[in-house]
Amino acid sequence: MLDILDIALLFFMAVTAISILRLKNLFAVVMLGGIYSLLSALIFVNLDAVDVAFTEAAVGAGISTVLMLGTLALTSREEKQEKKPSHKIWLPLMVCIATGAALVYGTLDMPRYGDPNAPIHKHVAPRYINDSMDEVGMPNIVTSVLASYRGFDTLGETTVVFTAVVGVLILLTGRRRRDKREPTLEELEEQEEEV
Amino acid sequence: MMFAAAAAALIVAIFLGLIRAYLGPTIYDRILAGNMIGTMTVILIAVHGFLAGRPEFLDIALVYALINFIGTIAILKYFRFKDLGHAGTDKGREEVEDDA
Amino acid sequence: MDMIFDILSWFFILAGSAFVLIGAIGVIRLPEVFTRSHAAGMVDTFGTALILLGLMFQAGGFNLVLVKLVMIGFFLFFTSPVSSHALVRAALADGAKPLAEDGSNLEGAYKEKGEK
Repeated sequence: MLDILDIALLFFMAVTAISILRLKNLFAVVMLGGIYSLLSALIFVNLDAVDVAFTEAAVGAGISTVLMLGTLALTSREEKQEKKPSHKIWLPLMVCIATGAALVYGTLDMPRYGDPNAPIHKHVAPRYINDSMDEVGMPNIVTSVLASYRGFDTLGETTVVFTAVVGVLILLTGRRRRDKREPTLEELEEQEEEV
Repeated sequence: MMFAAAAAALIVAIFLGLIRAYLGPTIYDRILAGNMIGTMTVILIAVHGFLAGRPEFLDIALVYALINFIGTIAILKYFRFKDLGHAGTDKGREEVEDDA
Repeated sequence: MDMIFDILSWFFILAGSAFVLIGAIGVIRLPEVFTRSHAAGMVDTFGTALILLGLMFQAGGFNLVLVKLVMIGFFLFFTSPVSSHALVRAALADGAKPLAEDGSNLEGAYKEKGEK
């Protein structure tokens, strides 16, 4: 049953992606993007990756939809019609097929799902599990991995998120200042009427 | 078995909602479909927990129920006031009543 | 006792699934946003409540799982009518007219801005 659920959800995701390609109304694209996030989070739950599904729920379906809407408030709501594609389709198609073939070829060497002898379970995981309490002193292994063993990685991620937030704030505050001017004129007129 | 039946019904319903989200025709139809798919996702996660024999995963369904509500309200606010930074105060309410 | 719980579960889950399916078909078949919102409201309230009730009988007594299910039901019970109301109100304020009884507003009564 769980396999059937996976197949159905993947099918829905493909349908959603093709719909996003075909629609010209950008708002509909944002809504379908939110639905796509919901479906992919369901797949993560089905794969037992509950923490990833948490993130997908909060970021994909929640915040990014709102950010996209904030962007749409500043730009056009319709996609610009291109009369003729400015490039040939064959070169991008070939690149996509070549990349996809390389990725599929890469999966052939992968160990079985959940194999205890897979390299990912042999490399650093035993050390984290056995020694992290002595080396870092945190009871939670995930926290010690994120904050200590991969501290620079986390620092980089935080920088990226911070930069993104600063960019969004700059865009949105510029918009709000322009809005504030209009009500002040109306308020002035209202005050005149009252007098 | 009963969980499988519920999951099948929810999957079919999600697909129907997807069709409505694609067809439109207005933005409100699409928000409606997105909201409905969100609700059904919450229930599907809850059912999935029982189906896989691990009802502990219900936490994520809980989070979803709240995020879905906040997302829908944010989208509707954007369409009502054309700006997410709007305070949505009495002035906005008067506008709504005037339009209606 | 388990037998009774199983039967109750079956009943509530099947009833909830029926509501979910009927509501989804309604969202496809009904003509405009207000009637569709009625169909979606059926999914949001009756469908989810009945399925959650059916799951509660399978929680295995009074434990954390039952509490979580009750909380999910509680949140959905309060949030989905609010979002339905906000949706219909926004549609109304944007100029959508409810369908007349003779079906006169069936097409072209309202359109997306920029779409003609």
